[in-house]
Amino acid sequence: MSSHQILVIEDEPQIRRFLRTTLEANGYRMIEADTAARGITEAASHKPDLVLVDLGLPDMDGIEVIRRIREWSPMPVIVLSARGEEAQKVAALDAGADDFITKPFGVEELNARLRVALRHAHRGGQAPSAVLRLGEVEIDLERREVRAPGRAVHLTPIEFRLLGLLARHAGMVLTHRQLLREVWGPSHTDQPHYLRIYMKQLRDKLEPEPARPRYFLTETGVGYRLKAEA
Amino acid sequence: MSRELAATRGFDNIAAGAVRHTSEVFDAQVVVLLPDEAGRICHPRAEAMHRSLRGADLGVAQLVFTRGQKAGLGTDTLPGHDTIYLPLAAGPGAARDGAEPGGSVRGVLAVLLANPRRILLPEQMHLLDTFAAQIALALERARLADQAQDAAVSAEAERLRNSLLSAISHDLRTPLAVIAGSASSLAESGDRLDAPHRAELARAIYNEARQMGDLVNNILDMTRLESGEVRPNLQWHSLEEIVGSVLGRVEARPGARKIGVRLPPDLPLIKLDAMLIEQLLTNLIENSLKYAPADARIEINAAASRDAVSIAVVDNGPGFPPGDEARVFDKFYRGRREGAVVGAGLGLTICSAIAQAHGGGISARNRPNGGAEVEFRLPPGEAPPAIEPEPA
Repeated sequence: MSSHQILVIEDEPQIRRFLRTTLEANGYRMIEADTAARGITEAASHKPDLVLVDLGLPDMDGIEVIRRIREWSPMPVIVLSARGEEAQKVAALDAGADDFITKPFGVEELNARLRVALRHAHRGGQAPSAVLRLGEVEIDLERREVRAPGRAVHLTPIEFRLLGLLARHAGMVLTHRQLLREVWGPSHTDQPHYLRIYMKQLRDKLEPEPARPRYFLTETGVGYRLKAEA
Repeated sequence: MSRELAATRGFDNIAAGAVRHTSEVFDAQVVVLLPDEAGRICHPRAEAMHRSLRGADLGVAQLVFTRGQKAGLGTDTLPGHDTIYLPLAAGPGAARDGAEPGGSVRGVLAVLLANPRRILLPEQMHLLDTFAAQIALALERARLADQAQDAAVSAEAERLRNSLLSAISHDLRTPLAVIAGSASSLAESGDRLDAPHRAELARAIYNEARQMGDLVNNILDMTRLESGEVRPNLQWHSLEEIVGSVLGRVEARPGARKIGVRLPPDLPLIKLDAMLIEQLLTNLIENSLKYAPADARIEINAAASRDAVSIAVVDNGPGFPPGDEARVFDKFYRGRREGAVVGAGLGLTICSAIAQAHGGGISARNRPNGGAEVEFRLPPGEAPPAIEPEPA
């Protein structure tokens, strides 16, 4: 398997060094850029498999970098951000970023994000299979059936739609706005209480311990992530 | 006049009062000229009043300010001038203290009389001197009041800075020592260490760095909450989800303990700032983790009534030192076992600030059978919005 090439756009040299060590140890090739302008150029000339972009670049807003890349390429983009930058994370995701990771992060978390984003890009956004497995529960998204050992679980059409959307992006974050728009339509994007209520219903039906979710994860201030190896 | 001047606060008010009174009594145009920070007399920034004197000669005023002696009409200095310039000097005899440029002279009073001959009468000049002395006194009083307030503010700031510095230096130095030591071990003799030891050093670095991160976050949050920079972003949330998110993070840490949860199944949606309430809950759990022994039970309970939604974090550890229950929310308060426990004493202070920012409250107590309990209450507020039911 040829190793994936990752472009890192980050102005802090220590973080670039740390990422280089980590990425190369995990079998990736890394190219780097220390400014947004250089990053955009490198993205165009190298056409990397994935871009990691810091939101706090000195010469240009990271969100602008994402917009520029999205003008010509669907390559996966993951945002590196700091705690407390929730509004910027949401703006970056709505501008076309695929996911984010909050500094400081561990290697395991970084690897998981990269793996999911790369795999998702390869599939072109299609669900890997119609059957989703959450522990002992199996959900056939095509035939709209749930198989749970020892109990009957019924999902409503909206619950299926929400679950299907999360499953197509398994492992990736979806913003409140994205979820509301796709499931309830553009008129509901400012009504997050719909999402709260339906996520609770999904957790109550599919999580072994709803107050300690294993699959339906909350990304506070941003959105939700279905943690499932799809 | 002295009564009004004594009651006014601030230099601009004093100047306005002085202009009004002096202009009435002497039938004159009047201005109070004050020095800038460099000691240069300048025109007032406040808007001119009806009887304000405009275009006073700043050169003459500066001379009067520096020398502390009056000049202009009816005086020995520049008697040909149409305006009288009087030094506003604090204290008797201060006006003659010309050796100290601007030392006790606070400003200059410039008076342009409608009838210049009036001032040639000695009792009129004497009255004007008295006015100048009153104005100077009021200015001096205002200056001292400002100074006293500055001193009080900076003493408080100084005290906080010192507490913060000592907390930070203690709480950052210890983990830094561990990190530097472990990292140098790995760098210098990593190949001589077996895998478990290498892993242990790496884990120590990770844990200590994480604690330093928590500390820095707490300090930042504290500053932002106190400056009023953080206004809660209130949205409808499910408490269960907030708790789940906190547990997901706390329990994912290396060597984490499991936290018990007891939530009523029918908790309504509630309007809150999810980031802040998660921070609050995390701090409460961290506190129990820090002070309760490793085998202690830690639990999150919640209850909803018509008056409030309350969430409590309880443990069966040693509890708070008796009598300290109210003090634990004070800034830099640290419980017993100080020294062995890392923390700047900011965690609960932040919790209290967050609860208040939501219009709620927080309280701590020792449980009857041992252990600590911290409960925060959020006001119920408006009823949550309904959603369109789904066709069955």
